[in-house]
Amino acid sequence: MSTAWIAISAMALIGVGLPIGMITLSSLLRPSVPEDGKRQTYESGEIPTGGTRFRFNVQYYMVALLFVIFDVETAFIFPWVVTYRDALEGGPSVVAVLAPMLAFLGILIVGLVWAWRNGAVSWARSETTDWRSTQNQ
Amino acid sequence: MMAIEGYVLLSAGLFCIGLFGILTRRNALMFLMAVELMVNAAVINLVAFALYHGTLTGQVFGLFVLGLAAAEVAIGLGIILVLYRNFGTIDVSVPTTMRW
Amino acid sequence: MIEPVQLPDAAALGPALVLGLTALVVFVFDSARPHEPDRGLLAGTTAAGSLLALGVGVWYMIAGVGVPEPDGAGVISLFDGQLVVDQLALFFMLVTAIVTALVAIASYDYMDGHAHQGEYYSLVLLAATGMATMAAANSLVTVFLALELASLPSYALVAILKDNRGSVEAGLKYFLLGALSSAIFVYGISLVYGATGVLQLDLVAEAITGETGQHVLTGNAHDVAGHDGLLGVGIVLLLVGIAFKTASVPLHFWAPEAYEGAPAPIAAFLSSASKAAGFVIAIRVFTTAFPVEATAGLVGFDWSVAFAVLAVATMTIGNFAAAVQENVKRMLAYSSVGHAGYALIGLAGVGAGANELVLGAALMHLFVYAFMNTGAFLFVALAEYWGVGRTFADYNGLGRRAPIACVALTVFMFSLAGIPPLGGFLSKYLLFWGSLQAGMLFVAGALVVNSALSLYYYSRLVKAVWFEEPVTDHGSLAQPVGLYAALIAAAVMTVVVLPGFGPIADSALDAATAVLTS
Repeated sequence: MSTAWIAISAMALIGVGLPIGMITLSSLLRPSVPEDGKRQTYESGEIPTGGTRFRFNVQYYMVALLFVIFDVETAFIFPWVVTYRDALEGGPSVVAVLAPMLAFLGILIVGLVWAWRNGAVSWARSETTDWRSTQNQ
Repeated sequence: MMAIEGYVLLSAGLFCIGLFGILTRRNALMFLMAVELMVNAAVINLVAFALYHGTLTGQVFGLFVLGLAAAEVAIGLGIILVLYRNFGTIDVSVPTTMRW
Repeated sequence: MIEPVQLPDAAALGPALVLGLTALVVFVFDSARPHEPDRGLLAGTTAAGSLLALGVGVWYMIAGVGVPEPDGAGVISLFDGQLVVDQLALFFMLVTAIVTALVAIASYDYMDGHAHQGEYYSLVLLAATGMATMAAANSLVTVFLALELASLPSYALVAILKDNRGSVEAGLKYFLLGALSSAIFVYGISLVYGATGVLQLDLVAEAITGETGQHVLTGNAHDVAGHDGLLGVGIVLLLVGIAFKTASVPLHFWAPEAYEGAPAPIAAFLSSASKAAGFVIAIRVFTTAFPVEATAGLVGFDWSVAFAVLAVATMTIGNFAAAVQENVKRMLAYSSVGHAGYALIGLAGVGAGANELVLGAALMHLFVYAFMNTGAFLFVALAEYWGVGRTFADYNGLGRRAPIACVALTVFMFSLAGIPPLGGFLSKYLLFWGSLQAGMLFVAGALVVNSALSLYYYSRLVKAVWFEEPVTDHGSLAQPVGLYAALIAAAVMTVVVLPGFGPIADSALDAATAVLTS
């Protein structure tokens, strides 16, 4: 067991212990004055409507899917970036090193343009009007 | 360094948890999560063996597998969504319009 | 002779590249006018792209790409051997391109009035790209990537009729089992990687046969024999993944559901091209990476025996289940399970002698099967287009109402059953002869019994369309141009395979020999 492990466990202990200690200490010291205003979800005065477990619009899901795809794409760009300089020193021209990644991005862009044109990222109009009408009530 | 057996045991455990989930759960989303556990078990194996053998192949393949798993989940969620629209449930044992 | 060597090496992947680029072109066309898609343009682009891929493939084959050095351009190895273009790869790229073209032409009529035209054709092309890449994959990494590239669009294609309960249910079942089996497959890959330390197929074989006590690439101390347990479990898991993809017996039960619920052209696509691609992976992985004797010596079992058992079980269960079906599409689905059993004989024969002959016959069978099975499913597509119904009884008397289509159907049915003058007979005969040569008497016997049984249910359909009285309507039926063209092309090819049998059988045998000796 090396000293690195001792440092890490000390770090973990402090990381867990410090917040717990602070919360305990403050709960012992602070005065307790319960009043209604403090129990609101938003202390700014905004009154929440409905419960938390309602169904979200499917369009959030479309945007989330696009996000996941472009998020995972970075996983492929990352190793390419790391080896980019070394690959150039190996002799091949800039084009030969750059072209595969440009092709990869090009394919992704074709897909993004297609999704865009097919309305994956535009909020459906009927939903917007529904939202406005509930606001006006 | 931890012995390779530890990683293999961990991944085998994850794989079996995933398999158990698939065999016992009827909720399609649970099924997806269980499959994801099995795939991640394979990724743990790949990375651990890459370290063990001293080659990078396994780690790079692990990245590809992660990307594919995300794509698979995207397709799966889409199918589950149309399943819900048509059958009003995501219980995988409900749709039985076709018989043996 | 044309010199393909002048082209860059990556051009050897021509057919797959053409299919992939066509998919992008279809995306661009669909992006240009997303809400009023031009069906003719999309279907035409898809068909043209797959025919171009077919042309490139045929050109390469004639030019001798993949033929070993003295006669041809040699096997072309790309990306440090991750992909390899040899005769086997070209052979299956051709099969994929042919089926894709037939499906694209037939879909023009079948998908009439459907909302998702652009998606449909681009997904078909992407799946075809995956299948063509599967043919060339030479490493467990590329095998898995190509397999997923072929599978993911297929899940969506099966469920593409979003308001049809059958289609959605089929898509769900196909997806759930597909996701499960690909998870099992990739776990198997990780175990094989753990045992051998490499992922490239020929290096895996080197690690298994070599036994130097060293890692084949890094030279670190690593003893494969000490990890025989990992290797054995890994091989079994790979077998499970492949059995799913080819719809072979322990994992065949998704096939009838998926094919029945899917749009009929997609059922044709999956049961022909996807299955053939599954077989090319099975052939490539098992013959290249796991040499029979060396592997059996390490892990204690001979995988070719496992394939023999699977072959007999698959053909028997598939054919018996097909014989009791009332729904035509479901009957065809089970019959395609049966045909997977016939093709598995090719791998079962690798362990025995005369293996080039058996494997070549299996390739041959997959080639002929691509035409006759696609054609049979396209007839079902036509029947769905007419709206005549799904059971045998609904097909009664169609011969009088649409004679040309029914002649084509008769050709497909008799060819699937293996009646002498047709393509299906010759490939089955070769399989039978090959398995006799290899001393697999039991397998050969099962093949004959099953073919006889299959004649019963295939001829039942032929009898229904020609000899039964139509139930209600006697009028002649519409003749949609695209579906008819695809149907007739498939029928003509099923017959033309006969005079063209020599060259096709030669290339199949060459491909089999090449993959076995490499």
